[in-house]
Amino acid sequence: MEFFGNMFLGFQVALQPMNLFFCFLGVLIGTLVGVLPGLGPVAAMSLLLPSTFHVSPVSAIIMLAGIYYGAMYGGSTTSILVNIPGEAASVVTCLDGYQMARKGRAGPALGIAAFGSFIAGTLSIIGLMFLAPPLAEMALQFGPPEYFSLMLLGLIILTFLAGGSMSKALMMAAFGLFLGLIGMDIMTATPRFTFNLYFLTDGVGLVPVVMGLFGISEVLLNVEARIKQDVFETKIKGLLPNWKDWKDSAWPIVRGSVIGFFLGILPGGGAVISSFVAYAIEKRISKYPEKFGTGVIEGVAAPESANNSATGGAFIPLLTLGIPANAVMAMLLGALIIYGMQPGPMLIKQHPDLFWGTVTSMYIGNIMLLVLNLPLIGIWVKILKIPYPVLFPLILLFCLIGVYSLNNNVGEIGLMLFFGGVGYLMKKFNYESPPLVLALVLGPMMENALRQSLIMSNGSGDIFFLRPISLVIMLCTLTLLILPLVPWVKKKREVIGEMGEDD
Amino acid sequence: MKNNDQRSSLIWCAIGLAIVLYSGKYGLGTLSSPGPGFVPFLTGLVIGGLSLVVFLQQWRKGKGEKLKDLWTKKDWPTILKVMGALVLYAIFLKSLGFLLTTFFLIVYLFRVIESMAWRKVLIGAILTAFGSYIVFEVWLEAQLPTGIFGF
Repeated sequence: MEFFGNMFLGFQVALQPMNLFFCFLGVLIGTLVGVLPGLGPVAAMSLLLPSTFHVSPVSAIIMLAGIYYGAMYGGSTTSILVNIPGEAASVVTCLDGYQMARKGRAGPALGIAAFGSFIAGTLSIIGLMFLAPPLAEMALQFGPPEYFSLMLLGLIILTFLAGGSMSKALMMAAFGLFLGLIGMDIMTATPRFTFNLYFLTDGVGLVPVVMGLFGISEVLLNVEARIKQDVFETKIKGLLPNWKDWKDSAWPIVRGSVIGFFLGILPGGGAVISSFVAYAIEKRISKYPEKFGTGVIEGVAAPESANNSATGGAFIPLLTLGIPANAVMAMLLGALIIYGMQPGPMLIKQHPDLFWGTVTSMYIGNIMLLVLNLPLIGIWVKILKIPYPVLFPLILLFCLIGVYSLNNNVGEIGLMLFFGGVGYLMKKFNYESPPLVLALVLGPMMENALRQSLIMSNGSGDIFFLRPISLVIMLCTLTLLILPLVPWVKKKREVIGEMGEDD
Repeated sequence: MKNNDQRSSLIWCAIGLAIVLYSGKYGLGTLSSPGPGFVPFLTGLVIGGLSLVVFLQQWRKGKGEKLKDLWTKKDWPTILKVMGALVLYAIFLKSLGFLLTTFFLIVYLFRVIESMAWRKVLIGAILTAFGSYIVFEVWLEAQLPTGIFGF
């Protein structure tokens, strides 16, 4: 009965006109940034974060969450029609989605992407509702060693799944941790690595780094390559997939949802990775794997379901442990702290209206998205036709304003530009940026947990292996570190890595 | 030097080394009471160690992407022009104010980078500057800098 009481509370919150409005605004902006290449949910959330300070925390979180799952819907449109991923989680959708469009089946491709997203999104919200409260109870038993092991596992998972060289990805994680440590040391109040720059005392901000790595550098790469947008000029007709399409996509949608949800929960998982894994699995178990990449509907249904489902799963570690699973959740963590809430095991108990309100708003948001993305698809196609020479100065300007307005500090613009350059070079030299961003957020938390653990154990590293929960997590971590050395796994990782480089 | 991974790994090796050396300055503490430099020291060690791993892996592998492969047929001077403009924007934002700097930035990007017609450039820049001012300053109350001219 408690569950229905909570649901009722949630809908009471989510259906308030103000919250409905912010939910709509969130999914609308989410779809927009999803559609626009070179602007993803992380950049959009950091851009809008300062403007949410005027509204209630619940409305703000509802809107920010809406941007996240909204972008997953929007990203597929660009992938299918232009063959450029609207955002990173839709990279694999290009493979079969664009081919479907070229064969005159853009309608069913867009349709199955939207329906698959809707089904997966709904399933993962249900999972979130049932799993989060008991997990939060369990998390109350976690001490610093468990937190440290878990965060370490998260980083290792991300580097393991990232594709490409694992040594390089680990290096980026370590560098991210280091960046996270810049600024005032919490225990001794010593400023570290600030180079006498005053604004670095509070630490390297997440927003400038993210806007630099994902916003500015992306624009630079696009300007350099002079991307041409060839919007597929065809009448989009028959958005409703036919009976055969449904039959082919039903299981991929279910599998995609499950994979996405669980990869989403894992710290370090998230939408991008789960879409790759879902596609790889469909291709593997398909009766006709050779047809993948020529426009089979499973190749659209599975990854699009997975990336939406991952959004629901990704909320779990944040709302139960206070650990963000990916860069987007890191933004939300930052937002929650700004609103004076402590994300962690007590969050659901202390702020039930926030938790249940946000979760139920996601149901409503998914319905809004279905309407926005099917009957109104024409609007987004028009937006896709804005030429890039007009678009990129605007994206740059939004990044500049967004970073400046966070603290009214020009120094942070400098920081963003610096990381824009770094991100550009990282892409050129094939270094992964997601591990860096996650590590940057986890840095201070991990340092605290490590130092507290060592103080608890009087300087002995055994503490991570003597406590049962921590031991299990550490064993998983070690396995993931050793696995890439096994030839069979090594080959598999390279295959996924190559898929990621096709974009 | 055989390929780009080796070049970049040497840079990371230097960064790792610098972090290790600097961390000592902040005090490593002991294992039972780690100091402010302790965890940075560890990250520096990991970065340095992994960069050597990458370097040696590539040594065995030998061939790979060359430096010049990255920028052939690509329009890289444009990148420098765009970055330069953004740096100037950051420098002049406070003194010239949001409206003027934004106007100049957009004129520059439209005209120099994209070589649009002057009429389009001016109309576009004015619309962008005022449009973003209305959205961010008036509507979202972002407190953009006003500059010495008072607007």
